[in-house]
Amino acid sequence: MLLAAGFAGNLWAQNPDTLISGPGSTLTENKCKICHELQHVRRTPLSRGEWADNLRNMKERGTPMDEAEMAIILDYLSTYYSRDPAPPPAPDTLAGGGDPFQKLLNAHACSGCHAPDKRIVGPSFREVAAKYADNPGAAARLAAKIRNGGQGAWGAVPMPPNPGVSDADLKSLVGWVLGSK
Amino acid sequence: MEKQRKTDESRRGFLTGVAGAGALAVLGGEAWSQATPDTPAAPPGTIASEGIKAEKVKAMQWHSERPLTGSVPAHEHDFDVTPNDRMFVRNNLLTPVIDIHAHRLTVKGLVDKELSFSVFELAKAFPTVTLQGMLECAGSGRSAYQPGASGTPWSPTGGMGCPKWGGVRLADVLRAAGVKPNAAHVAGQGGDPGAVPTAAPVIRSIPMRKAMDENTLIAWAMNGEPLPWIHGYPLRLVVPGWVGSASTKWLHTLMVLDAPFKGTYMDSSYRVPRNPIEPGQKMPPDAVSAEAWPIKSMITSPAPNAHFKGSGPITVRGRAWVGEGSVERVEVSTDEGKTWRQAQLARAGDKYAWRTFTYEFRPERVGYVTFLARAWDDRGNAQPTVPYWNPLGYFWNGWHRVGVLVEA
Repeated sequence: MLLAAGFAGNLWAQNPDTLISGPGSTLTENKCKICHELQHVRRTPLSRGEWADNLRNMKERGTPMDEAEMAIILDYLSTYYSRDPAPPPAPDTLAGGGDPFQKLLNAHACSGCHAPDKRIVGPSFREVAAKYADNPGAAARLAAKIRNGGQGAWGAVPMPPNPGVSDADLKSLVGWVLGSK
Repeated sequence: MEKQRKTDESRRGFLTGVAGAGALAVLGGEAWSQATPDTPAAPPGTIASEGIKAEKVKAMQWHSERPLTGSVPAHEHDFDVTPNDRMFVRNNLLTPVIDIHAHRLTVKGLVDKELSFSVFELAKAFPTVTLQGMLECAGSGRSAYQPGASGTPWSPTGGMGCPKWGGVRLADVLRAAGVKPNAAHVAGQGGDPGAVPTAAPVIRSIPMRKAMDENTLIAWAMNGEPLPWIHGYPLRLVVPGWVGSASTKWLHTLMVLDAPFKGTYMDSSYRVPRNPIEPGQKMPPDAVSAEAWPIKSMITSPAPNAHFKGSGPITVRGRAWVGEGSVERVEVSTDEGKTWRQAQLARAGDKYAWRTFTYEFRPERVGYVTFLARAWDDRGNAQPTVPYWNPLGYFWNGWHRVGVLVEA
């Protein structure tokens, strides 16, 4: 009995074995943890080329995943667990300074996938604003999307849920995004 | 726990049998019946990590539960022969429960006649051999490389050990089967299952010259005990001096081939660039299979940050080894590598065993003192300060360093 409690308990219950939440993180977690703990992913950031090699190796070793899934996982890993140095932050993203909206984006990790005027992983804020223009229920729908996540509106990569965003922050984010031009 | 103990007793019973061929015939099968250990959390037919960890010393540093990997730090390796409970643990897949009575070893491929043995038949058919031999995971020391490489983050001295192995020579078994003239490699396959049915079996092959080396064994004993579950019970290959993955555990099939085995564990893992590459680059196309370890050493006493009183001598002790060839000498520096003094090297034992070295240091002042060890092989290779970087983080053999405090 001790054994059963030990194995299941000591890693997952007290110390959840998860990856950074982001587009593709759930798929990546589910595939990787078939055979090993996720600390093996978290521990060593790699370049995109190395992640591609690593994924191919894992496929060879028997991970059940198809090409489309591997593409999502590669995008996820080389965004969130990248060895390549990130570009220097814009001045207004530095701690303590600048745009309060940019600070909210940073705090909730929105900027990993979204930018004001160009597509990264997800749509730009300008595209989102255009899609919801003249829609009277826009604010409520967008708020639900941010909090609960969603998939399909902008392609195959899902938007992860963000249950940690406060109501006040959510209201600020929705208002700003819908006003993006 | 009760079941675990029964299992240990039955493993010992088995060894008593194979140690004397006479006992084998008299006792028959009953004495060696295997109880399944009480490991409810593991998939059927496998052993959960808790059962394996219970067989190891407390000093073991566990890196991962799935797959199970762990090792003791250098100062816990201060033994001429590595005890079973201090041998490192590294699996690619899960640890199987194998019934020794049902288990068979098959020799096939480019042979005159295919052979099949039970463990007991193997022990009766060929001369038994006991020798001390080094096994070290290819990734030992991986955590010391910058930038980091993916894989078990072994410390510079993690993932190795040098026990005594008992079994028969692989060469004797291959000769009995009759190796064809075009034979080039011998692949070993073990019975460890993956977490999913699609998992590729862990198959590695070694060139014929290493397979025919008299020190390459098919082993069933480790330090006079039956192999512990985690170390391959009931049968494994021991390819001493070479990367640990060559020493297939839970061995059930030997395939004689005309070329290296083609598979992910040969073609994508356990590979190193033929020539040095810029750190952080991808594996180049001309990579080669990781085989023998380069010259390496570690200081096993004193422990890091040990305190010494007064000006009495401090004995610096350690172990040195090389995957092929022999250890020529070991030097110790107490001034961060500016000057080196030769250490006393113990008489050479078995060809692939590590060698103990000692150096008497007389402190001339109180304060912090560091010891560095650097070994040389018989081909003029010395351990580098920092070895060439490689994408999978293999073959770290940089100088080992231990600092201590001398007090008034």
